[in-house]
Amino acid sequence: MTQVISKSDLMVWLGRLTESHRLIAPVDEAGTTLFQRVSRVEDIALDFTNTVLSPKEWFFPPTETLFSVEKKDGGIELVPNEGVEENVIFGVRPCDALGIALLDKPFLNEPADALYGRHRDKTTLIGLSCREARPECFCTSMGTAPDDPANVDVLLTEVADGYIVDAVTDKGKAILPQDLLKESDVTAPPPPSMATVPVEGIEDAMSQSFDDPYWERLADRCLHCKLCAYVCPICYCFDVRDYNDKGTVQRVRSWESCQSSGFTTIAGGYDRRAGKGPHLRQRFGHKLLYFPREFGSPACTGCGRCVKVCPVNIDVREVIGDVQGLGGTSGQ
Amino acid sequence: MAPELVQQIRDKARELLTSGAVDCVIGYGRATDGVTARPLFVYEPEKVDELIFDETCTHNLVGYLVNRKGKKTGIVVKPCDSRAINVLLNEGQISRDDVSIIGVVCDGVVETGWNRVGEAQQARCQYCHQHTPVVYDFLIGEPREESPPSAEDYAAVAEMEAKSPEEREAFWAEQFDRCCRCYACRQVCPACYCTECFVDKLDPMWVGIRVAPEENRIWHTIRAYHLAGRCSGCNECERVCPVNIPLSLLNRKMARDVEDLFGFQAGLDDKEMQPLGAFEKDEKLGIGE
Repeated sequence: MTQVISKSDLMVWLGRLTESHRLIAPVDEAGTTLFQRVSRVEDIALDFTNTVLSPKEWFFPPTETLFSVEKKDGGIELVPNEGVEENVIFGVRPCDALGIALLDKPFLNEPADALYGRHRDKTTLIGLSCREARPECFCTSMGTAPDDPANVDVLLTEVADGYIVDAVTDKGKAILPQDLLKESDVTAPPPPSMATVPVEGIEDAMSQSFDDPYWERLADRCLHCKLCAYVCPICYCFDVRDYNDKGTVQRVRSWESCQSSGFTTIAGGYDRRAGKGPHLRQRFGHKLLYFPREFGSPACTGCGRCVKVCPVNIDVREVIGDVQGLGGTSGQ
Repeated sequence: MAPELVQQIRDKARELLTSGAVDCVIGYGRATDGVTARPLFVYEPEKVDELIFDETCTHNLVGYLVNRKGKKTGIVVKPCDSRAINVLLNEGQISRDDVSIIGVVCDGVVETGWNRVGEAQQARCQYCHQHTPVVYDFLIGEPREESPPSAEDYAAVAEMEAKSPEEREAFWAEQFDRCCRCYACRQVCPACYCTECFVDKLDPMWVGIRVAPEENRIWHTIRAYHLAGRCSGCNECERVCPVNIPLSLLNRKMARDVEDLFGFQAGLDDKEMQPLGAFEKDEKLGIGE
């Protein structure tokens, strides 16, 4: 037996969550679907494949004040940003949930990023299994699946007239609406299938292709915008600035990307990733070689967002295949 | 496009590469979705058959020429793209001798996205009256008699102008609020070739790094002004925007104002300096009069 919730009761539950928590859910806006704060459940987009930006923005926001420095009693006081609310994010796809679990590695390994940690502690994830795979999806090659409950607190799987409710963690159990759940013998439909990407051995292939002219040729076409990094559920580069406003200084971090011209430029002007090729290689190197070496798995979930948004079709699936085929011709 | 015209592009590319006139031809190839196009850099004559041309070839490839300064390059351009070549020539960014231009007579391109080819022509093509490139070395297709401009061309801009300042402000605040500052609009723009953009300047920091309404607004407003009289209307910025900000409304408003005030359209030739980059001795500035 499994627990199910009807479609109309799901709306009742989500309505309750808007009162007890800050509810974040997919919302259609100007032809795009984005995770946004919702106060009316009617605004929630249920019929979506995935959002343009991943839910990472609710843990690692595009811009966030780390702390402020204020004048007080003839001295100064350092005030940390404590303003983190109790969130429930509804509609997290398994690939994006894996993305959050992977983000934990750099952010929560000691010394942990306190602000990220607070967002993480105060957020409950309601996952939604995928009933269809998009042409750019390849999550099954990256260690997750369209119906993977591994990285969410509650997983909902759509069935004929409702959703199977799978409470994965205690945090998830705590928000379940027991009065709205019913026992049922309904079974989940088979998850959608998708093409596989040859990731086996990619670390070695990346390492061996470091000096291959392939990267310059690939970078010919790259615009070096930051789209791939910003839509990526894992990319976590940021930049920091101080803002001075009438005697109060705020230290702010904002998203950045390895594709920025100044990414690895150091004092004196030396740039160890200078040029288009090394810049673009850095993106794939980080995902497929440096991150796995450091944390044990690739920094990619197969969500396919970068494939979808790239204005010039730099397709990570194609890159993985190409690099596997280079055969270590770098001669390093 | 008729297969024989695509073959002409391939033949010309092969000839340019084989003769050594250029060491690279920039054109269009098929994307990994199998249905749309992507930029293709061809270095070897035996690879010219990967070149395609059809109604999905929306990209303006001209910006890539700035990356290849001083290198002999062949390039496939549509009429709108060809105007950007004139802008870059006029501003001294590329040398005419380095570029071999394969101009394509164009009937318009369609709305495309990843794995998606729309039926409808892009809006920019519906108000475009340039079917033959303004600059080329080789022309693919028969030159066309150009249709005259229509009062309808700027209907969307006029509709925006008819709104009150408060309505306009509210409209743009909502649009810019979605901006995630990915700068795809800048990176894809052939006229945005500054080695250091004002927005990346650290000292002084002209515009902050915050993804926040005021800073987003400054970014888009200054960029629009920088493109006044320089934007050739390829609309790539709007195409690549992940959150659908209607940048064409800003750029076309600038283009029309420059046309009304100075009788100038960007990139129609490479001789006349764009009005905001030129200064006439007897020019009235409208200050203190």
